[in-house]
Amino acid sequence: MPIRVSLDRILIDRRMSLTELADRVGVTIANLSILKTGKARAVRFSTLAALCRELDCQPGDLLVYEPGPAEELDEGED
Amino acid sequence: MRALGPGSVSSFLKIILDVVYVALVAGVIGAALLALAALLFAFNPSLLANVKISDGAQFVERAPLVVGGLLAAGFYMVSVLLIIGALRRIFTTLTAGDPFHPDNVNRLRLVGLMLAVLELGRYAVWGISAWLPWVRDVRPSFSLTAWFSVLVVFVLAEVFREGARLRREAELTI
Repeated sequence: MPIRVSLDRILIDRRMSLTELADRVGVTIANLSILKTGKARAVRFSTLAALCRELDCQPGDLLVYEPGPAEELDEGED
Repeated sequence: MRALGPGSVSSFLKIILDVVYVALVAGVIGAALLALAALLFAFNPSLLANVKISDGAQFVERAPLVVGGLLAAGFYMVSVLLIIGALRRIFTTLTAGDPFHPDNVNRLRLVGLMLAVLELGRYAVWGISAWLPWVRDVRPSFSLTAWFSVLVVFVLAEVFREGARLRREAELTI
């Protein structure tokens, strides 16, 4: 997936733990981990809005496009 | 009335499938034991002296047919057993409220495959029956309904595959 989620860096900048963010945003730690490790397929606008609100950032600060080799978006991709 | 989840129609159907499954297992074991006994008598007819069977001589004469019939019955029951077993596991996921479990795709494919095997087995039995001299009145027929069912099950398997893919997508949507 050429979209990278730079949640790690922002959390360090804000000195906030994943658990605290999960509590504030209302998303489970497991789901935030999926997002942080780049395994997520999609992010809901509501989740993105909550993340931006709690981290005081813009969507562009969280999501970075990094072009790479073309990937097949089939069901086999995890 | 709910279709999925605990206490729903699917859980009721699961209980019925459990009962049928146990009955079929008993049937398969019974058929296997009978086939074994028939084989034993076929190879050693002197054993019949100790067993009281009306018209024992005819039984020995037709022992290969009896064994063949029992093996065909066993094959039929094993095929149905595989179908019922797959359906039981599918209904377990339905009862748990998780119809698009990834394993259900292969289970449905197995059901479709076994339905096709059963239909082909029916043709084989007809072929053999027509060849045997003492079997009369063999009327082979081609069942479109059976093959239609096979295709429907395979299409349903693909529908479940798509459902499983969407479920995976939903799981990875944060």
